[in-house]
Amino acid sequence: MNGFNRRRAALCLLVLTLGLLCAVTAAGTLLAGQAMVTDFTRKNLPPCVPFLFGTDWMGRDMLSRTLTGLSLSIRIGLLTAAVSAGIALLVGACSALLGGWVDGALSWFVDLVMGIPHILLVILISLAFGKGFAGVVAGVALSHWTSLARVVRGEVLQVRAMPYVQVAEKLGLSRWAILRRHLLPHLLPQFLTGLVLLFPHAILHEASVTFLGFGLPPEQPAIGVILSESMGYLTTGKWWLAVFPGLSLVGVVVLFALLADQLRRLLDPASVHE
Amino acid sequence: MRRFFSLSLAALVALGPLSGCGGGPAQEQEGGVGKDQVVIAMPTTSEPEAGFDPAYGWGAGEHVHEPLIQSTLTVTNADLTIGYDLATGVTASQDGLTWTVTIRDDVVFTDGVPLTAADVAFTYNTVKEASSVNDFTMLDYAEAVDDTTVIFHMATPFSIWPYTMANVGIVPEHAYDPATYGQNPIGSGRYLLKQWDRGQQVILAANPDYYGQAPQMKQVTILFLEEDAAFLAVQAGQADVAYTSATYSEQDPAGYVLAAYTSVDNRGFNLPVIQGALTGDVLVRRAINIGIDRQEMIDHVLSGYGTPAYSVCDGLPWYSEASEVAYDPAAAAALLEQAGWVLGADGVREKDGERAELNLLYPTGDSVRQALCADFGNQLGELGISCTIEGVGWDTAYDRALTQPLIWGWGAHTPMELYNLYHTEEDTGSARYSPYANAAVDEWMDQALACTDLEQSYALWQKAQWDGTAGVTQDGDIPWVWLVNVDHLYWVRAGLQVAQQKIHPHGHGWSIVNNVDQWSWT
Repeated sequence: MNGFNRRRAALCLLVLTLGLLCAVTAAGTLLAGQAMVTDFTRKNLPPCVPFLFGTDWMGRDMLSRTLTGLSLSIRIGLLTAAVSAGIALLVGACSALLGGWVDGALSWFVDLVMGIPHILLVILISLAFGKGFAGVVAGVALSHWTSLARVVRGEVLQVRAMPYVQVAEKLGLSRWAILRRHLLPHLLPQFLTGLVLLFPHAILHEASVTFLGFGLPPEQPAIGVILSESMGYLTTGKWWLAVFPGLSLVGVVVLFALLADQLRRLLDPASVHE
Repeated sequence: MRRFFSLSLAALVALGPLSGCGGGPAQEQEGGVGKDQVVIAMPTTSEPEAGFDPAYGWGAGEHVHEPLIQSTLTVTNADLTIGYDLATGVTASQDGLTWTVTIRDDVVFTDGVPLTAADVAFTYNTVKEASSVNDFTMLDYAEAVDDTTVIFHMATPFSIWPYTMANVGIVPEHAYDPATYGQNPIGSGRYLLKQWDRGQQVILAANPDYYGQAPQMKQVTILFLEEDAAFLAVQAGQADVAYTSATYSEQDPAGYVLAAYTSVDNRGFNLPVIQGALTGDVLVRRAINIGIDRQEMIDHVLSGYGTPAYSVCDGLPWYSEASEVAYDPAAAAALLEQAGWVLGADGVREKDGERAELNLLYPTGDSVRQALCADFGNQLGELGISCTIEGVGWDTAYDRALTQPLIWGWGAHTPMELYNLYHTEEDTGSARYSPYANAAVDEWMDQALACTDLEQSYALWQKAQWDGTAGVTQDGDIPWVWLVNVDHLYWVRAGLQVAQQKIHPHGHGWSIVNNVDQWSWT
C-alpha cells in the first residue's frame, strides 16, 4: 500500500465514478436516435443478446432507452443542481452578510419553502412553467436550494466571527475583498459537497415528477416515463421493463453519492491529510 | 457508506409510493354464485361522476349506452336500426318539426307511480335545459297531450331524433331533484340501483315490476378497476367478466375465455386541409389513405383484435361502402409523385426544397393510440413522409389538431357523428375538429337531417360520404384517414353466456351490459 493512501484511493474512486457518469451521458446522447425507433416485429422481447435490456410493447430497445433516459436525467441533474446551488449561495451569503431584517426575511422564506412538501412544489412549479424540460428544470431548481442555503448561511456566520476575519475588517479591507479572500475559500468544500449531493436528489425528483405525468413529455425516453409506462405491463410478467431502468437509476444515484463522499474526503480539512 | 444506503433507500421510497395500488375489488366473491348474479369489472373511467341522472351524462354523451335503470322511448336494434321500448308509435310531421310519440300505459316507476307522457315531456324539457353532455338545441320543447301521447316541437328538422330518444332515460317528474337524483335514481328500467360505493362498485338489482321480460340476471355488480387490477381480479376469480386489452390477450387465466366483440370504436387521424401544408394537398391525403396497411397495424398493435376502419361509421346503417379502399403502396407513391413530392437521397420526399414531414399527435396515457401513432409514422416513413410523434394532453389537443394530425377515437350509434366531423360550422366556416369544408357534403347532411323518413335519411348520409362526384372518401376530399376499429376484449368466466352484442360504440365500458338481463349461466 506504499504510496496508495486513503486520499489517493478517494481520488481514484472519484475519477472512476466521474468516468462512469460521463460514459453513461455520452452513450445516452449517442443512442438518442435509436431509443426512439419503434419496430413492431421485435416487440415484448425479454432480455437477449441483441437486446440486453429487452424491448417494450412498441419494439423499442430498452437499453438505448435506459441509457438515453439516464443521460437526460444526468443533464437535468447538472443543470438543476447548478442553478439550485447558485441560488443557495446567493441567499445564504446575503442572509449572513447583510443580517438584520434581510436575514430575518430570507430565513423566513427558506422556512416557508421548506414547509411545502417537496414533490408538491416541484409539480406546481413544473405545471406553471408548462411542464416539459423547462418545467422540470424550473421545478427542481427552484425547490432544492433551501438546505444548502441554510448550510451556507451558517458557515458564513461562523467564519465571519473568526479572529482573522475580524482582524481583516479592522485592517480596513473592503467587504468584497473579505468575501473573496477569506469567506469563499472556506465555503468551497461545503458548497461543492452540497452541490454534488443535490444531483441525486434532483434526478430522483425529475424521475418522480415525470412518472406522475407532470414532467417530461411521454415520447421522451426519460426514466420516469419508462417506469410509468412499465406499470401497465408488470402484471403480464414483463419485469424487464421496470427492473433494469429502475436499477440503473439507483446505480446512478449511488454513483453521485459516492462522488460527493470522495470529494468531501479530498476537500474537507478534517480528512485532507489521511 | 451510510449515505449510500440512505440514498438508495430514498430512491426506492421516492418511487415506491408512485407505483399506485389498483384497489382490489370491494368484495370477495366467487363468480356465478346463485347462477343469477354476475360481477363485471369496468374501467374506473366508466363510473358516472354525476351519478345515474340522464340530465348529467348517464347513458348519453361521448360513451353512449342503454341507461338500464331508466326506460327509453326507443332502442337501437342489433343492426342499429330503431326499435321501441316505451314507445308504441313514432311519427314525424311532413315538415319534420313535430314528432308525435305514443307510449305504453302499463309502466310504473319503482316507487309505484305510473309513468305517463307528462314524465316524458318533463324529462326532455329538463335535459334540454340541463344536459351537460348532449346537444338538444334541435328541440324546442316537449308537450304531453294526454297520458300516453307526447309531442316534440322541434326548432329544426332532425330526422335522427329516434337515435337521440334511444339514449335519454325517462325520469319521474314527481320525484326528480337534480341535487339528489343521481345518487338515488328512480326509474322504470330493467334494474334498480341497490348500492353505490363511490370509487369501488355499483350493485344493480332486477326491477320486480319491470313491464318487459323479467331479467335473468337478478343482480349485477359492477367493479371499477384499473386494467391491471381487472386482470388480477380475473386471476383471483373475483370477476365473471372483466375488460382487458390486446396487451393482456396472450395471457391465459384458468377458467376464463377471451371474448372479442366487434366495435365501431375506431381510431383515425384528422388530416388538416390547410393550403400550403403537406396535408392540404388532396393527392397527399389520398396517398396516405391507400398507403397505410391497416391489417399490419391490427396485427402489430392490436395483436389481431380489430378490423380495418375506412370511415367513422363502418358497418352501421348509414355507412357508405365507397369508403373502403385497398392497400396499394405503389399507387400511393404514384400519387405523391403526381403531387410533386419526389424521393430525396435520404428517403424523404421533397418538393421545392421543402421536406415531407409530419408531427403526429397522440393523447398522453393511451398506449394503444401511442403505438398506432408510431406504426402510422413508420408506415408513412416507408412512403417517404418523415414523421415525429408527440404526446399531448386533452387540454391542448383540440387546438393543436386544428393544424396537426391527431389520432382520435370515435364511433357512435348515431349518424350525427358524421355531421360533427365533416359539417362546417357557421361561425368558423370550417368543420369543428379539423379544418375542412365542402358545400356539397354539407348539403347532403342538411338534407339528411331534414328528411322525414329515417330509413330514407340513411341513403342521404351515405351520399354525404360519397355521391359520385364529391364526398369524404378516397375519391373525394378524404379529410380524415381511418385506421382500425378496436375490438372490445373481455375475460369471460367459462359457463357464462353473454348475449349477442350490438356493434360496440366508442368507449370500453357500459356497452357490454346493454343486454345483461339476457345473460345466463350454464
